[in-house]
Amino acid sequence: MTRSDPIFQLDGVTRSYGPLVALDHIDFTAENNSYVALLGPSGSGKTSLLRVIAGFEKPDSGRIWFQGRDITDLPAHERGIGFVFQNFALFPHLTIFENVAFGLRNGPVKVTEAEIKDRVRANIEMVGLSGLEDRSPDQISGGQKQRVALARSLVMQPKLVLLDEPLGALDANLRERMQTELRAIRERLDVTFLHVTGSETEALAMGDKVAVLDQGRIIQYGTPDVIYDSPSSSDVALFLNRYNLFDGTLQNGTFKGSFGAVPVPAARANDKDIYAVRYDRTQIFDAGTTALPGPALPVRFLASEYLGSSIIFLFETADHKTVEVDHHLSFGEPREMTVGQDYILSWDPAKAIVFGKEMAR
Amino acid sequence: MSANSTNRQKTNTFQLLAPGVVWMILFLVAPIMMIVYVSFWTQTTFAINSTLTLDSWRNFFSSDAYVGALWTTIRLWLIVLTLTFVIGYPAALFVGLLVKSKTVATVLLVLCVIPFWTSFLIRVLAWRPMLGREGAINILLQKAGIIDSPIEVLLFSELSVIIGMTQIYVVFMVGPIAFMLGRIDRNIIEAARDLGAGFGRIFWKIIFPLSLPGVVVGAIFVSVMVLGEFATSGALSGRKVNLLGNIIVTQVGTLKWAMASVAGVILTVLLGIVVAGFLRIVDLKREI
Repeated sequence: MTRSDPIFQLDGVTRSYGPLVALDHIDFTAENNSYVALLGPSGSGKTSLLRVIAGFEKPDSGRIWFQGRDITDLPAHERGIGFVFQNFALFPHLTIFENVAFGLRNGPVKVTEAEIKDRVRANIEMVGLSGLEDRSPDQISGGQKQRVALARSLVMQPKLVLLDEPLGALDANLRERMQTELRAIRERLDVTFLHVTGSETEALAMGDKVAVLDQGRIIQYGTPDVIYDSPSSSDVALFLNRYNLFDGTLQNGTFKGSFGAVPVPAARANDKDIYAVRYDRTQIFDAGTTALPGPALPVRFLASEYLGSSIIFLFETADHKTVEVDHHLSFGEPREMTVGQDYILSWDPAKAIVFGKEMAR
Repeated sequence: MSANSTNRQKTNTFQLLAPGVVWMILFLVAPIMMIVYVSFWTQTTFAINSTLTLDSWRNFFSSDAYVGALWTTIRLWLIVLTLTFVIGYPAALFVGLLVKSKTVATVLLVLCVIPFWTSFLIRVLAWRPMLGREGAINILLQKAGIIDSPIEVLLFSELSVIIGMTQIYVVFMVGPIAFMLGRIDRNIIEAARDLGAGFGRIFWKIIFPLSLPGVVVGAIFVSVMVLGEFATSGALSGRKVNLLGNIIVTQVGTLKWAMASVAGVILTVLLGIVVAGFLRIVDLKREI
């Protein structure tokens, strides 16, 4: 299979729990040998989607295709899809070696003892745990458990591995190291990772492609830079957590909001009128400044947050909406500001993204 | 300073332990020592004196009735233990693992305990109208035309004792196993499925080993109670089945304290061996 062939395909997959629709007619195709990040807020149906693909749950309707085969009615243990659980789900009564060997010993294919030994050792070495084979799962750290869970799936040589918030249980430091390692391990093997996460930074950093899931539907699927630079709807922009979103009305090419009326050359279809400006494209000016690059939004300064490479400034508009400005420190020292004082925010209108109802018509 | 605080800690530990230790010495250790001591006393028909002798021990092991009671006890214990396990494990599997709702599982466990709302003796005696010659089972089987004459062996036999004990003690097997099964992380079972294991494999490689501590605790409960039994065998066997417990009751009833003590010591040693044996199977300390 070449990279562009789909490894798996969802065809109108729907799953509800009583009145709650967890998956709403999902169509989705993932390329072979790629890293796909699935971004969604909690309750968006991320875990349900993974469980349906893995075969732990059946869809109410729709078909699931894997390597060109319809696997909708195949039980989980015959699918050959790896699954890495958020809580790792290691077998507590077995050693690390036996945990990794479990699928080879108890799976559908008979494997000789010598081959089991070779493959288990190779995989334990790949995730960097050599020497810990005889430990039991309660004698290793969280990061090591994560690696065992990964090795346990990879030893089966699956073509698709589903990772359910694999970094959620790790501390920030370890999370970043595992991000790099997960990508490196995947690149060495001919395998597709489908990585579910609620963190937009994680999704953008890890995925070759990012799918954004909301209320059981995939609302955008694309490369991280496309998702980041041009979110297809205001919901995507909201999940990215990098955009100030202003309510208002779009009419005849003009957006009216709390910053006045701005001419809008182009807008994207959306279910409500939203004006979006990225945090790092919003600039701060003293109250009374007239030479502005674009619209003027009067605000009051609330607080700042130092992040090392940048500073986030928090402002409040007259209608008590919080607006964030991201000042990257490589662009020079930030200006001195007084808490409670009034300022004006402005931006280049060409960089703003506008979503409008009238585009949907 | 540090020596001082260590000392204070020691004092605290001692003070916290003292009431329990005193209680156990007075009401457990001392009586057991006393029973061991009395088992070596000299028994005459109507009196007992503290001259030490091995007569009671010799009498016990040279009497077919007494040694027979020991073997009957062990045999019935093994049969009842096996039956409570064979009947109890599937029930526990259902309550602890297959029932998804915790509320339903709790309700089912409470249902198991309902027979305990009535007294032990009533529960045992209730088997008589059930198993008797003109009891419920015989009447039903006759009405259904399956048998022509009532099955005599149902009541006042070893079988009735086994049925009665199994019914009474099976819940002590179900409870601990269901508890252990309920604690198994569902993700672990799904992980095993995902790695290609079918239900049988998952049961023998994952579920059963993880429920083993519950099996051991249940087996200890059942063993301790069955080995010390005398009431069920008394009420349902028509005095045909004599267990060590029955021997003790009879000997105490006829004021044969020395012989009762011998049987008591043997029973205690047997219990000790059984419990120690079960504890070797799993490391319960890890589970607590």
